[in-house]
Amino acid sequence: MNWLTPMTGLIVAAIVVPLLLLLYFLRLRRLPKPIASTLLWMKSIEDLRANAPFQRLRASLLLFIQLLIIILLVLALMQPQIESSGRTGGRRVFLIDNSASMQSTDSEDSVTRLQKAKELAIGRIQELHGGGLLGGMPGEVMVIAFADGAEVMCPFTDSSRKAISAINSIRPTDGRTSIAEAMQLSRAFTTNPNPDQADRPVKEPAILELFSDGRIQDLDGEVLRAGERVIYNVIGSPEADNLGIISMAADRPYDQGDQVQVFASIANYNPDPADCTVQMSVNGTIRAVTPEPVQIPAAQVNDQGVFIPGIEQVVFLPFEQPRNAIIEVALLREDDLAVDNTCVLVTPPERSLSVVLVEGRSTVVKWVLDAMPLRSLDLISGSEFDAMVAEGELPEWDVIVLDGHVPSEIPPGHYLSIGPTPPVEGFNQYGTAEQVFVQSIKQDHPLLRAVNLDRLYVGSMNKLAPNSEIEVLAESVEGPLIMSIDRGGLRMVHVSFDLLESNWPRLRSFVNFVANALPWIATTGEAASYEGLTTADVITSRVPLAAQDVTIELPDGERESLLLTTPGSVSWGPPARTGLYTLRWSMPGSDEEMAKEFAVNLVNEPEGHVQADEELEFSVDLVQGRFGAQQIWRSLWPWLIGVAIAMLMIEWLIYNRKNRLKP
Amino acid sequence: MNQADSGRPTRVDELIDSKMMARLDQIDVVSRKIFSGKIQGERRSRRKGVSVEFADYRPYVHGDDLRFIDWNIYGRLDRLFLKLFMEEEDLSLVIGIDSSGSMGWGKPDKFLYAQKLAMALGYIGLSNQNRVSLFSYNDEGIQLLSNLRGRRRTSELGNWLLQQAPRGGEGFESAMKTISGARSGRGVMIILSDFLYKGGYEKGLRAVAGRGFDVFAMQVLSPEEIDPAGTSSFTGDLRLTDIEDEDTAEVTISPLLLERYRRNLNGWCGNLRDFCVRRDITHMLVDTSTALDTLLLDYLRRRGLLK
Repeated sequence: MNWLTPMTGLIVAAIVVPLLLLLYFLRLRRLPKPIASTLLWMKSIEDLRANAPFQRLRASLLLFIQLLIIILLVLALMQPQIESSGRTGGRRVFLIDNSASMQSTDSEDSVTRLQKAKELAIGRIQELHGGGLLGGMPGEVMVIAFADGAEVMCPFTDSSRKAISAINSIRPTDGRTSIAEAMQLSRAFTTNPNPDQADRPVKEPAILELFSDGRIQDLDGEVLRAGERVIYNVIGSPEADNLGIISMAADRPYDQGDQVQVFASIANYNPDPADCTVQMSVNGTIRAVTPEPVQIPAAQVNDQGVFIPGIEQVVFLPFEQPRNAIIEVALLREDDLAVDNTCVLVTPPERSLSVVLVEGRSTVVKWVLDAMPLRSLDLISGSEFDAMVAEGELPEWDVIVLDGHVPSEIPPGHYLSIGPTPPVEGFNQYGTAEQVFVQSIKQDHPLLRAVNLDRLYVGSMNKLAPNSEIEVLAESVEGPLIMSIDRGGLRMVHVSFDLLESNWPRLRSFVNFVANALPWIATTGEAASYEGLTTADVITSRVPLAAQDVTIELPDGERESLLLTTPGSVSWGPPARTGLYTLRWSMPGSDEEMAKEFAVNLVNEPEGHVQADEELEFSVDLVQGRFGAQQIWRSLWPWLIGVAIAMLMIEWLIYNRKNRLKP
Repeated sequence: MNQADSGRPTRVDELIDSKMMARLDQIDVVSRKIFSGKIQGERRSRRKGVSVEFADYRPYVHGDDLRFIDWNIYGRLDRLFLKLFMEEEDLSLVIGIDSSGSMGWGKPDKFLYAQKLAMALGYIGLSNQNRVSLFSYNDEGIQLLSNLRGRRRTSELGNWLLQQAPRGGEGFESAMKTISGARSGRGVMIILSDFLYKGGYEKGLRAVAGRGFDVFAMQVLSPEEIDPAGTSSFTGDLRLTDIEDEDTAEVTISPLLLERYRRNLNGWCGNLRDFCVRRDITHMLVDTSTALDTLLLDYLRRRGLLK
């Protein structure tokens, strides 16, 4: 129950009810009339009064009804609404989910969930600003849209027009659902910046109104603070239907570099098994279709309550494609979420790497490189490398392996650094450590695929304190062991210990690591990728130093100009929508336009789970959701006025019955 | 202050005019009883006295008037008997006017109407050689005018009536006791009052009933009292003030209330009538809107007070 104008009604009640009671206490002001005798009148009148100005309040049905009528009218003036989430006014933060799952069209009118959420949010704003002349002070509203990240569409405002305009400007994305940044943003606007009062709100606690389907992937890490209140408006149906591609890869077989083989994983998020036909296209031409519909098992919930979608792998036969290609895999089945029904990859042309080994301190590295099908392997000393760098004549090697050499300068390029800490900002060496073991690794990282470091023993390592730009892939208790950095034109994987100070060269994992690292380093940031990008990634590419008129063409055909913030490198993103992005540039004196394609896909398993969640669990706080259809705020004042009129008629009937002449 | 004080009559001819007097000359007061008077009148009395109509004999006793001895009986029986004759006495007409404040109300004014009625009745009495006495009463006491006889006393009767004015509260019971105790003669007593006594009329009427008076209780009520719904002054929310004791009653005029009032009025008048009937008192309800000559020449004749 919500009251739009409680104070108005209370003020009127405070005035009218005492007046009515006073009228009953007071005698009527009557016209004085002298008569011969009151003898007969005394016998006749029933409302005979004493001469005192006040009389004892008698139990009167009419008074009761009149009080009831006044109370009803006062309640109507207070403009009550049912399905209220609390008080009117105050401060509210509207957190509107615009992730990929919000593009589901599981409503009856096939409107996307995001559109529904926007309509609901706009309706809420109109209700908050309702009440007309009696509405009093409207509340303040802030609008935040969130998917992979969060964006403040409108800071706190009491203007419904601004807030509604901000909501209308929210665009759908194909990103994942992450609420952490949105919560941080909303808290930044509602939390007191004074450290001594950090636990106190700036003004009054803001209510967070969440418009989402509830499939928020980082909800476990969020804890509601004291005084925070979340209203969860469930958008979408718990019975939504969806199948999606959760991963896709294209690979050139080791011994057949001119062929491409495509793999895809299809997830079924429905409680029943499903089947669908899968189609593969190359450069827009259908190349293959599964001969029979792929049977995908039903999703399940395990004993711990974890949702596990049914997954089926699809492998297409290798096909000849020596040139680069845009490969698309599509599910030929209509469901509520279309964005995960297609997945696109841009495969690079058949290519082998040119690698240079600088210094070559440990022969084991050379052995491994020799065993790889490289286009070329050059061996140079550290001084030769430094001279080339100094003269600016560094050849275009795909990967530069620094084995125990520390150059004075690291120019842009692709590096595998082993041993001493290279002069790259962010590694921050602060000492050495001895006799360490691996504590944790990122097993899902492509670099560490089939790399088991459990038996790795490091006799001596450099202790580093990497900054946030550096991703730690393997770590010991003394610090990171394997790291990667992707900054501007520099791509580097660094191993913080000397191979000869460890048992790694004797382990199979080392060979796998090098075999993983070289293609990964060489292809990272290139236009063509076997892995593809997600909406959370940043499109980064090297371009010639003299490149000009660099633009990126979005999937919808729109073009955006790019600035080369770092010579020879461009970055853009993260891309909000899936699809094919094309980076274009031209060279001085040439009319030819160069291009590189980037495929961005929604290959995210949780996002495909579009069945709306009816409750949210913020760590320990459970927030029960409310479905949009039930959240329509209904004004009760017309009903109250109707009842008041009915009571008035009843009073009129009673009054006339009491004063009616009996035949 | 009574509402009609400013319009009170100041001359006798405002109470009765010559035309009315001429019409009343043909009328006499009827007594259902034969009364004894102090002087011989034109009316037959039960008392044996001096007249031409023989009544009875009785033995002579010493001191009797020798003129009434029947000498024929003495001749036959040799005993002295005295002839007794029906004595013709004058009629004692007593008119009582309620001069309490409540009588000075109504349109037409009840007291003015009572003044004119008393004047007319008194004139009838005087013109028929009756012994006419008037008294007015309220809580301040009794004003008395005794033993008028003969048409020439008409002016005196009128002037006395002009001096009376309605004021004060009711004094009916004490007045009736006083009158019944003081009057030695017998006759017709006419009481002009609205009989709206909060203290009750029973004791007062009981005091005069059975004392030889042929009592007529003439209840004078104004049209507003008889039917308030018929007047425009009784509408809306009113604070009614009793002009005698200033008691107030706050009323909201409604059809139901007026109906209840009518029932109470009928009940009050009905009780008064029943009380009078049981005590051989004639009750008459007089509406002040009734023309006086209609009342005298028609209504009172039919009710047997006049002939």
